[in-house]
Amino acid sequence: MKITTMQGLEDARAQGERSLYPARTKITVGMATCGIASGAGAVYAALIEEVKNKRLDATVTRAGCIGYCQQEPLVDVLQPGLPRITFGQMTPKKARELVVRLSEKKGLPFEDAIYRTDEDKILITGQEVRLAAERAANGYRKVTLIREHPYFKKQKRIILRNCGLIDPESIEEYIACGGYRALWKALKEMTPIRINEEIKKAGLRGRGGAGFLTGKKWELCRLEPGEPKYVICNADEGDPGAFMDRSVLESDPFSVLEGMVIGAFSIGSHQGYIYVRAEYPLAIERLRAAIDQAEEYGTLGKNILGSSFTFNVRVVEGAGAFVCGEETGLIASIEGSLGEPRQRPPYPAQKGLWGCPTNINNVKTWASVAPIIFRGGSWFVATGTEGNPGTTVFSLVGKVRNNGLAEVPLGIRLREMIFDIGGGIQDDRAFKAVQTGGPSGGCLPASLIDLPVDYERLADAGSMMGSGGMIVMDEDTCMVDIARYFLEFTSDESCGKCTPCREGTKRMLQILTRITRGKGRPGDAEYLQNLAEVIKETSLCGLGGTAPNPVLSTLRYFHDEYEAHIVDKRCPGRVCKELISYSIDPEKCPGCLACLKQCPTEAIIGEAKVAHRIIGNKCIKCGACLDVCNYNAVIVE
Amino acid sequence: MVKLFIDDQQVEAEEGQTILEVARKFHIHIPTLCFYRAISPYGGCRVCLVEIADDRGSRLVTSCSYPVAEGMYVRTISERVLNARKVIVDLLLARCPEVKKIQELAAELDLGPPDPEFREDHDCILCGLCTRVCVELMGVGAIGFHGRGAKRKVTTPYEEISDICIRCGACAFVCPTGARVLELEHITGRKPVPLLSEFDEGLRSRPSIYIPFPQAVPNKPVIDKDNCVRLQMGKCGACQFFCEAEAINYDMKDEFRDLKVGAIILSTGFKGFDASRIFRLGYKRYPNVYTSLQIERMVNSSGPTGGEIKLRDGRQPKSVGIVHCVGSRDDKTNAYCSRVCCMYSLKLAHLIKERTGAEIYNFYIDMRTPGKGYEKFYEKLMRENVHFIRGNVAEVTDWAMTAEEEGRLVIRAEDTLLGVVRRIPVDMVVLSIGMEPQSDSEGVRRKFNVSCSDEGWFLERHPKLAPVSTFTDGIFIAGTCQGPKDIPDTVAQAGAAAAEVMALIDKGHVDLEPNSAYITDELCSGCKTCIPLCPFKALSFNAEKGISAINEALCKGCGTCVASCPSGALQQNLFNDEQIYEEIKGVLSYV
Repeated sequence: MKITTMQGLEDARAQGERSLYPARTKITVGMATCGIASGAGAVYAALIEEVKNKRLDATVTRAGCIGYCQQEPLVDVLQPGLPRITFGQMTPKKARELVVRLSEKKGLPFEDAIYRTDEDKILITGQEVRLAAERAANGYRKVTLIREHPYFKKQKRIILRNCGLIDPESIEEYIACGGYRALWKALKEMTPIRINEEIKKAGLRGRGGAGFLTGKKWELCRLEPGEPKYVICNADEGDPGAFMDRSVLESDPFSVLEGMVIGAFSIGSHQGYIYVRAEYPLAIERLRAAIDQAEEYGTLGKNILGSSFTFNVRVVEGAGAFVCGEETGLIASIEGSLGEPRQRPPYPAQKGLWGCPTNINNVKTWASVAPIIFRGGSWFVATGTEGNPGTTVFSLVGKVRNNGLAEVPLGIRLREMIFDIGGGIQDDRAFKAVQTGGPSGGCLPASLIDLPVDYERLADAGSMMGSGGMIVMDEDTCMVDIARYFLEFTSDESCGKCTPCREGTKRMLQILTRITRGKGRPGDAEYLQNLAEVIKETSLCGLGGTAPNPVLSTLRYFHDEYEAHIVDKRCPGRVCKELISYSIDPEKCPGCLACLKQCPTEAIIGEAKVAHRIIGNKCIKCGACLDVCNYNAVIVE
Repeated sequence: MVKLFIDDQQVEAEEGQTILEVARKFHIHIPTLCFYRAISPYGGCRVCLVEIADDRGSRLVTSCSYPVAEGMYVRTISERVLNARKVIVDLLLARCPEVKKIQELAAELDLGPPDPEFREDHDCILCGLCTRVCVELMGVGAIGFHGRGAKRKVTTPYEEISDICIRCGACAFVCPTGARVLELEHITGRKPVPLLSEFDEGLRSRPSIYIPFPQAVPNKPVIDKDNCVRLQMGKCGACQFFCEAEAINYDMKDEFRDLKVGAIILSTGFKGFDASRIFRLGYKRYPNVYTSLQIERMVNSSGPTGGEIKLRDGRQPKSVGIVHCVGSRDDKTNAYCSRVCCMYSLKLAHLIKERTGAEIYNFYIDMRTPGKGYEKFYEKLMRENVHFIRGNVAEVTDWAMTAEEEGRLVIRAEDTLLGVVRRIPVDMVVLSIGMEPQSDSEGVRRKFNVSCSDEGWFLERHPKLAPVSTFTDGIFIAGTCQGPKDIPDTVAQAGAAAAEVMALIDKGHVDLEPNSAYITDELCSGCKTCIPLCPFKALSFNAEKGISAINEALCKGCGTCVASCPSGALQQNLFNDEQIYEEIKGVLSYV
């Protein structure tokens, strides 16, 4: 059933709409990896079973991830003519109750609801789908509207437009949300050059982290003589704590495929590759399913949408190295060689995969293409700031209240990210620093809380956009230890090809380890500074070029902490074991024996109702006593 | 052509050239570690960094890979470059403190010893030259990298013995540090046999493209086509990347040229006696038994040991035995005296004594020192306390009978002057090998129609009156192809042969013998009996006429054909039947 006419597309849209907004109750479970990890599978099974038992007239469907990880598993309930209500932190028990209440028409458990949706706005077409009738019942109105919910209020969802809304394995639902309109427009109404111009006009920048202008990149590849040409989707998302690419692939794989077809048409390529981390089995599965469906519907493969354009996509599973996310390393890996970067120039646009002109873009970049093409570059520019148009997705993790994915316009301030969307720091502790851009990003201090987040500002501040990881740290964090932690990661993930990255990250790690162990020497900070700068400017690829960022930024903003470690042999964050000691405040200790029982090395002595004491040389500084003490009597210095 | 500045010097370069190529062309030094001309640039070591400034601003790039561009400013020794290079070399030095190449680089940059806290003990800098040469040049890929980051190392797939390695040794050859992992035994599981230098008598190896010896004429390299990977397998071809003159041509074939000459001097030399034919002397069985030619290379300052006398394990010998007459004056091998061995043995004895101070024992049958000043030299050696033992060596063995003989070679010989059998333990045995005719001398001799003695040496026309001529006009002999002789004699003979040739050329014509044979065509039956009998190949068969024909210029008038002709068609001038009868009559008339 290939779509070759507008009518065919319309039919598919209508069919998708019927399953998106069915005439009976629809219960949707967010089933991306994040949801499944927090138990969505069991919730889903319970729902199906209970709906069957209660003979409820309802469909239970799966969707991807909306990004509000803190509240997973999420369940949406959509009854005809009523707003969509989203419940968070569902358990199988709660799910069964939900079905029972639905079947007994007792009304929904609104106290567990997080937000409600009165209308869906289809981003591509701008069309609004009203879900709720004019006057919904009272209970519904008590639930916060999604656009007023603090987590979503400041978000603008272009890349994640369909995530969590549609069934990722249904091309009709994708089409119902405006999918393949842009491709239709591109193939039927536009020339490859026009498409390229539109992307240039939009000023879209590579969302993989480097921020190179996508339109420029396409143009270089398009104008490069040589056949065949390849387009690649880089989905080798390896940053710890970053999962937006995974989420997009699991929740809305068609958006990436559509973007790739448009890009390939503009560049003149007939073969694409999606290089996905092998650690993303669900993303791979959904991608493969999406490719099969797209081929079946004629939106991929031969004669796409009835045109003469042919484009095929192959999914390649990653080889398991962080550095394979670097574009030349990725190409080497697809070719079957050792995944290590090679010297540029020549750039991939000149000599890429199999020595042919190749264009590589990140998942989020590809997902941004379709809306730009359909709505035009000038529409896209309206979001974000000058030079940094559009939105990007951050994975907000660490010590914030709301962990999750948030798509925001570029230029948003860190404060808005952390305190509005993130909901502030957990346990009301003080905000100390935020690390952006994955393991190779920098740590920005509290003084930069009002920094607008865009490519240039972050780079100037010594960090980077990177793939969009954002790790928030509170006052109990040792910045030297944080730098050491990230260096541990990068030195382990360095491919080892070039000396500065291989030997240099190792050396930085050795020195940082020595500092955190209290063996730092005077001059270590200066030595680190020079070493880090040299590594940054002499490394072969981006991994080595950015690996020193955590060191450089902490040296820049938290120099006093280095001094404290090196000179005073003191860890202000009270993290570095060798530099802290545990003791018990005899004033506060009531002698409850809790810590004494917990201590694994029997370093705590004392008896009931007598203040305890810690024997210094026996203490291994595990912190167990601190965790169990209810009287704040354990002192760490 | 693009114009750019390197260290404030304006230079011109071709488009597509790298900064390093251009800098080297203008003799601007940029250190490198992972660069090798015959393979594509890698950019791994980052030692070749230079600072460039163009419209994108100033930055550090690797000169080995970065292409030049119009108007580019390049600095090879700016403060920024030197600081970065120092940091990088310091990191490498900590990794490989014992590697000479890195030590040299560190010294060049005034770096001190590495911080002991970071000191490691690797001998591989992971420059990837070996793995790239294996794949890119040899098309094999027997070795590659294993692991990543600091755990990276060079090894075979799954660290198993490679069955695809062609044992070309290119990996070890390009390795700047001599890393242990590249010893071919680790890769193939078999001990490779190196190509041994013929000129150095197998004392060192040689590549498959080489200049045969320093004085070779023409002094140009040759490719050993049996071992060249390019010619055998179509891979490699590294040498052509290095030849500035672009003189390497793999398509060249052996060719045969016909040259017209008026005279030929044969000076094909001799073959050294193969000492392994005398089993009891232990050559090729005991590593420290050498031939005199091997020692001759060893004492040469451009030789394999740079002029040092060394045993195979690198020690200096404390005692040396020189065995004379190996392959000479011996009924089982060659009965004749090779003439040169006594004198060169004395020379070697003198040199070894001088360089090592070792005890030297000469085992001789007779000392033959007949040349000018030779006897004096012999006496001098006796004064130098070189031992002379008159007697044939029975055997060389490592079978020790006393503690002193333990681990050494023992020469068992009869001392005919004392009348006892002696066992002399030595560290090194030198076999003074004699001369033999070249193994192909028989073929050469037939080609030039030259006779030879029963030993195979080419025969001169007359030992006293025509010592450099042969029985064939225009063919002369010189040197040891005629018989064993030393260098002065050879030079004298060569001069004489050259003079003979010049006389011939100077005269401009050849005097023919008047008594040549001739054929009476009418009588010849075409039986061809005469043709194979002519020692000078003057007879041929005229197929058109069906009779034999004679080239009178070649005929020496020996009369063999005349005597053999059954039909009497062949006659000899001055000696036809009638004339002979007349002569007989004349002789008999006195009776």
